[in-house]
Amino acid sequence: MEFNDGYPSYETMAIHDEEHGKHVRKVIWKVFWIMLGVTLVELLVGFKAESWGLGKVFLQFFFIGLTIVKAAYIVLSFMHLGDEVKALKWTLLGPFIVLVLYLIFMVDVGEGNYAKARRYVMDKNVTDAPHHAPAGNNEGASEHH
Amino acid sequence: MSSHAATTQVKANWGGGGVSPLGASYGKLYMWFFLVSDAFTFSGLLTAYGFMRHKYTDFWPNPGHVFHHFPFYEGSIPLAYVGLMTFILIMSSVTMVLAVEAGHRNKKNEVAKWMLLTIIGGLMFVGSQAWEWYNFISGTAEGAVRNILVDGVWQDKLIHGANLQYNEYGLPVFGDFFFFITGFHGFHVFSGVVINFIIYVNVVKGTYEKRGHYEMVEKVGLYWHFVDLVWVFVFTFFYLL
Repeated sequence: MEFNDGYPSYETMAIHDEEHGKHVRKVIWKVFWIMLGVTLVELLVGFKAESWGLGKVFLQFFFIGLTIVKAAYIVLSFMHLGDEVKALKWTLLGPFIVLVLYLIFMVDVGEGNYAKARRYVMDKNVTDAPHHAPAGNNEGASEHH
Repeated sequence: MSSHAATTQVKANWGGGGVSPLGASYGKLYMWFFLVSDAFTFSGLLTAYGFMRHKYTDFWPNPGHVFHHFPFYEGSIPLAYVGLMTFILIMSSVTMVLAVEAGHRNKKNEVAKWMLLTIIGGLMFVGSQAWEWYNFISGTAEGAVRNILVDGVWQDKLIHGANLQYNEYGLPVFGDFFFFITGFHGFHVFSGVVINFIIYVNVVKGTYEKRGHYEMVEKVGLYWHFVDLVWVFVFTFFYLL
């Protein structure tokens, strides 16, 4: 572009040469292998959780933790948010961090526990407990709790 | 403001000063803000799912026992096909980011090649999701007895498969969330494939070569990565936890 008024042209600023391209591609493939590895670990644990006797709470932390790792790689590396200016990064990620904190406090500390309490009432078949087939269907769902 | 003799009108950057706040072009910023809003939509759906799952945790079916089909295989491998779907989507994300990288080197044919692979990956994912829905709706041979409304009378009937009112796997709300969350996400994947295809045609036509930059590919790539990101969360919350 011949015309130059000194203002940055963000679209063309991203263009890079072959050398830098090779380095960028190596990083992309490295992240791919990390993602594949993490997914395989998640699947293996999900598959074997019952036979290994892993606790429910541990599984929750484990899966959510690994998911956040995968999400971080996708957002920072694939979506190139890691290369953007700090202001943009925080504008986008800030609300999410606030949301996650809110959810953590809501589910474990606050509102979620009202739902837990209802389970005692359900045994008496009093509330909107669903009619369900005699035992055999859900034996997989109810672990020790 | 600059002074120059030529009357070439430069495409004005928004904001008047010519320098975009947050250091990215208007189109890219728009895409990012849209993605944040869409992410909040999915967060709402997943949070609602979490509350229901938490409340009915003793009655919730084990996803490994529900999603155990694999194409062309008569047996049962829990979560294998869903794992394969995850791999396909992550792979298509990788091909997308490689297309973006080729765009940064202004290599038209490479961009086209990687974008075509991304589109194929997306189509494979949508097809797989459709197959999962088919299996979910048809159900198993054994079925289950549910108390359903037939001709105005509640009665116990042997039912197979699932719909929005009842399903053989467990609570009705399990089926509802399955259809809504995977349906919403599948719709995003489908629209992403359509958008990718439009941009792919433009790449092949040489629109961006003439323009001098492949930022459109980057913006569309952001949307595609977002779709992958949502799937990572849906996969964890729905199938694993």
